[in-house]
Amino acid sequence: MSAPAPAFSAKTQRRIAVVRLADASDAVTVLSFLFAMLLVFFPATFPRLIVNSWEHGQLMPALMVITFLLDTGIYLRIAYLQSARPGPVAAACLGSLPLLVVGGLSLLQQSAVSHTLAADLPNLQARVGEEIFAHTYLGLVGGVFLPFLVIRLVSQFRTKNS
Amino acid sequence: MLGWTSLKWLSWISLYIIPVVILPWAVSRTWVHQHGRELHLSPARFYQRGELGLPTLILAVSVIWNLLQSQFMPHTIALGSVILGFGGMMAVAVWVETFCRQSSGTDWHPERAWHDSKSLALLVFSVAAVMEILLDRLAKVVSR
Repeated sequence: MSAPAPAFSAKTQRRIAVVRLADASDAVTVLSFLFAMLLVFFPATFPRLIVNSWEHGQLMPALMVITFLLDTGIYLRIAYLQSARPGPVAAACLGSLPLLVVGGLSLLQQSAVSHTLAADLPNLQARVGEEIFAHTYLGLVGGVFLPFLVIRLVSQFRTKNS
Repeated sequence: MLGWTSLKWLSWISLYIIPVVILPWAVSRTWVHQHGRELHLSPARFYQRGELGLPTLILAVSVIWNLLQSQFMPHTIALGSVILGFGGMMAVAVWVETFCRQSSGTDWHPERAWHDSKSLALLVFSVAAVMEILLDRLAKVVSR
């Protein structure tokens, strides 16, 4: 029986994409600077937009979709640049973790808003708005960055064990 | 809310550029001038082992300290601190890993260490900038 052709062998044995935190960091950096620019140029409109969408229950689904799409896009880009195939563990992490992180952080956000309302502080409406706004930003950053951090740590652990 | 006159957060955070970029550059220029040697100076060569992780962690810690002193709810403070803390720790981890690789004789890539530490430093810097804007906004809301 003849040996498989080198080209075919190379194609079938493509290695799994290796995630480095720097790849996700670049996306979060761009996202943060965009957020900062929007805050500087639209200091009233942008936060009001966020708070309004939170009041209508649209913020968290939108955040879930945005983080999921961003994470998937970043991972596919990593795989494309490395000419590697996406790994099953990373795919499972990226399929579930952005939704879990944003979902968990939305519970934290609800709790923070409840505590602010219960504290009976002056200028309550504006304070609640600031809490919602801060949680939205942190949820966005966490939803993009934390899944990649988990993938990185898991892959390091697997490398050590194998 | 946030006007051009209240960009103190930006000037505050820019102070970190002085010890990280300008000070090493100035000191090395002085050394070159004193010793009359030829040196190709660049941030990539200065931080080729990922040393940028150290000032990054210092920046993260100082913003966490500001967060702890703010009037945000404990949930918000905890979340912001965790994200900044992880960013800072991962930046330091690049330096430690590169140091371990170099010390143990394992192959290490200065370009990769520089690229990774630079990306994580920019991440922490940008998150810190947004957190400072948010702290500034909250301080104004509280003072009203």
